[in-house]
Amino acid sequence: MPRRVRTLILVALAALLLAVWAFPVLWALLTSFKTERDVLAYPPTLIFEPTLRNYRDVLFGSASLLPNLASSIIVAGVSTLATLLLAIPAAYALARLEFPGRRVSGFYILATQMLPPVGLIIPYYLVLQKAGALDTYWGLIVIYLTFSLPFAIWLMVSYFEDVPREMEEAALLDRAGRVRALWYVILPQVRGGIAVTTIFVFLNAWNEFLFAVVLGGNRVRPVTVAMFNFISVEQTLWAKLAAGAMLAMAPVILLGLLAQRHIVKGLTVGAVKGARR
Amino acid sequence: MNSPDAPPPNPLAARGEREPSASETGEKPRARTAGRVSLRGIVKRHGSFTALHGVDLDIEPGEFFALLGPSGSGKTTTLRIIAGLEPHDAGRVLLDGDDVTAREPGERDVAMVFQSYALYPHMSVFDNIAFPLRMVGAPRDDIARAVRDAAAKVRIDHLLERRPGQLSGGQQQRCALARAIVRKPRLFLLDEPLSNLDAKLRLETRVELRKLQRALGVTAVYVTHDQEEAMTIADRLAIFMEGRIVQVGRPQEIFARPASALVAAFIGSPPMNLLPAEVRGGALHVAGITLPIERPLGGDGAVTLGVRPAALRIGTSGLPACVELVEHMGDTTIVDLDVAGTPMKLRTDQAPAVREGDEVRVSFAAAAMHLFERDGGARRDP
Repeated sequence: MPRRVRTLILVALAALLLAVWAFPVLWALLTSFKTERDVLAYPPTLIFEPTLRNYRDVLFGSASLLPNLASSIIVAGVSTLATLLLAIPAAYALARLEFPGRRVSGFYILATQMLPPVGLIIPYYLVLQKAGALDTYWGLIVIYLTFSLPFAIWLMVSYFEDVPREMEEAALLDRAGRVRALWYVILPQVRGGIAVTTIFVFLNAWNEFLFAVVLGGNRVRPVTVAMFNFISVEQTLWAKLAAGAMLAMAPVILLGLLAQRHIVKGLTVGAVKGARR
Repeated sequence: MNSPDAPPPNPLAARGEREPSASETGEKPRARTAGRVSLRGIVKRHGSFTALHGVDLDIEPGEFFALLGPSGSGKTTTLRIIAGLEPHDAGRVLLDGDDVTAREPGERDVAMVFQSYALYPHMSVFDNIAFPLRMVGAPRDDIARAVRDAAAKVRIDHLLERRPGQLSGGQQQRCALARAIVRKPRLFLLDEPLSNLDAKLRLETRVELRKLQRALGVTAVYVTHDQEEAMTIADRLAIFMEGRIVQVGRPQEIFARPASALVAAFIGSPPMNLLPAEVRGGALHVAGITLPIERPLGGDGAVTLGVRPAALRIGTSGLPACVELVEHMGDTTIVDLDVAGTPMKLRTDQAPAVREGDEVRVSFAAAAMHLFERDGGARRDP
């Protein structure tokens, strides 16, 4: 098959996949600029008079999502920060230090990822209830840590293992000591991994719904949960829902664009031994 | 060896934080007083495998000392134990008489050049070389001066702004050297530092390394599996085999009197020829014939006869041999022989008048003969 034809077919396939993936997003984007009446028009209209009313409502109206966006930022931000603070030293230790049970603990860290969240939700609810931590930020953040931490450690270990051991030994001989060797020599070389981990952990927490809806409440209500308000028994406010979804997606997309380079590299880490990041 | 040249002025000696005696007496003392390494009964085990069986070793100040051996013989492990990078199971490491066994690598005042160089890829060459000084909080001006000094010594002072990734292999190697010499350690540890260079550069760097070490007057411990490298560069060397030191000495001594058949087979290029033989009634029986040997041979028994390739002569008397291959190598020629089923090599400066397939006889002078016990391979001294 000529190269040109093959390229054409590949591009067409990619375009098709992209269209399938992007369609709901584009549809929601269009919907967010429609009035509720236009949304329900049948057949659906593509040409309509756009309005910013939905955005005004979800931002500043009686059902403003701003507090919920703030809630999401707190939950996702703090759990990301805490994850990194704990995962970096843990991953370093797993990758480098010799201690009894190192291999086994590595396995158990990964094993926690194998439990389905649905199976955990009732025990988590009971634990938080006993601790008086339902509908609190710290309660939800601790729960988020239970899955973000193993994931982050598991991801970071491979980055630390990629740093040549001799480089750290050189730093030790240069009198850096373990902590300064980590700070000046090792961490700068795993910054790609830190970026990837940050993004994955933040997005996971930001997009999380199940735990937030069950373990949150009136005080702690991330935007994923709050958008549910637009769906009620009587009616579904599709346009507002779409506007809310766009707002909730904005930081995710922004972060994704900023970190695209790191993410793609992160997905292939360890694919080629000794490849430079 | 003691440095004939005065060591270059040491911009950091004045700080004197780790060796007051050196700073008080000024410039010269290191070469003679500092850098003595003593290993006492070092044992290293990996599970049930014993990597080092009680290694004892003394390295004098200012010496260029090579640890030579095949891979897996324990030489790199020994170097890493001196550096403090590898915990060991028994024994003591003494530096200048101080027991440093329990000290961290950074507390031993040793610098190491790794086989992979282990440069910090995210730092410029300048920052790489400056790193050990920054870690001890040296003043900024001193650091800049010392870095330029060290870089100039290895001729990379025009590359200070580059990253290691932008350097050639040889330049990276120099950068690693500069990082090691910048803080004037009492001991250099070099782990196969030339093995990643191409053959030509390796020969050049070998000479430069030797000159640099002499100029600095610092003790150097050098690990290599290349016997030629060790023989040419070292003042003395220790030969490692299977986790034991089998011989220590100056290169000429080891070449002239290998302590065992194993050492003999490892040293020289090509290495010594070894033939099964037997001493019976004061005569040597080899390959079915009895050789008249004008020297005492020791008691009767099975032995291994060793003869260097350059000591063999083709002539009309001696051991019957079949010429298998003639390798012309420019100024020398190697003749591969088969002596009663044992392959032997002969090296000569003159083009020999033999061809493949010829039946010849080879002989050697009695003084050029080495005898080892067949059982255990120990040298049998006449």
